[in-house]
Amino acid sequence: MKTDNSLPLEYGTEQNKLNILGFWIFLGAEVMLFATLFATYFTLEHRTGSGPAGAEIFEITPVLIETILLLTSSFTIGLGVHAMRLGRKNAMMTFFAVTLLLGLAFLGVEIYEFTHYVHVGAGLQVSAFTGILLTTLGTHGAHVTVGLFWGLFIIMQVKKRGLTPETANKSFIFSLYWHFLDVVWIFIFSFIYLKGMM
Amino acid sequence: MSELFPRKQVMGFVFSLVLTAAALTVYFLDVSFAVGMTILLATAFIQAAVQLVGFMHAGESEDKVAIYANIYYGIAIALVTIFGTLLILVWDM
Repeated sequence: MKTDNSLPLEYGTEQNKLNILGFWIFLGAEVMLFATLFATYFTLEHRTGSGPAGAEIFEITPVLIETILLLTSSFTIGLGVHAMRLGRKNAMMTFFAVTLLLGLAFLGVEIYEFTHYVHVGAGLQVSAFTGILLTTLGTHGAHVTVGLFWGLFIIMQVKKRGLTPETANKSFIFSLYWHFLDVVWIFIFSFIYLKGMM
Repeated sequence: MSELFPRKQVMGFVFSLVLTAAALTVYFLDVSFAVGMTILLATAFIQAAVQLVGFMHAGESEDKVAIYANIYYGIAIALVTIFGTLLILVWDM
């Protein structure tokens, strides 16, 4: 296998470059998936039936905590990739672990938020609005959940095999996924929560 | 230790926090719907760009053109989907 040493390890082979390009194309498809969810949300957000409206159930504190947690985790995984490029395996694994802990905390707050919604009578089946709200948030939350397991397996593999062109490539692709989850959250934060509470 | 915290990424993080705080003004201040949406559209898209370019290194490899073409294509389809839906189903045009 030919390795190009002028590039970071994760781009080192032809296969690696294609993996990264391929993952960007997957993220393009993910953008479209979330676009359909947002389109449906904007269509149904005032169809509240006999259930509550967004302004009645949204709370700024948990939403702000979630935002800060995810934003910080996106920063720490960026630092993880930077450490990886310096060949600092332990620092990289630490940053990845911190990222996952922040992700776990995010998920904890989101689960609290969901139980709170059900508690105040805004469950999935109450109205078109609550249905699309929880579907959109839930699709993002499911992505975070998948990311937690994926990231855990990445850390285990780096620990076992060290930084090779393969493990570096996998780690970099995971970082793209994690940053993307934060991008989606920025739009949820702005156009679901803040717009709803404005 | 400081080599682990590159200036570019720290600045990107601080800038993201500032943009988040700017977006929060629509909640804490009494702004009209039009002004609020303008603020949110600006802060959200700038913050997304910070992530894509600053953190995700979209432009660093030789596949730069293909990656940007793919991102723009994804965003274009997303905007057509969202605004097409709004036009027909919400704004009733």
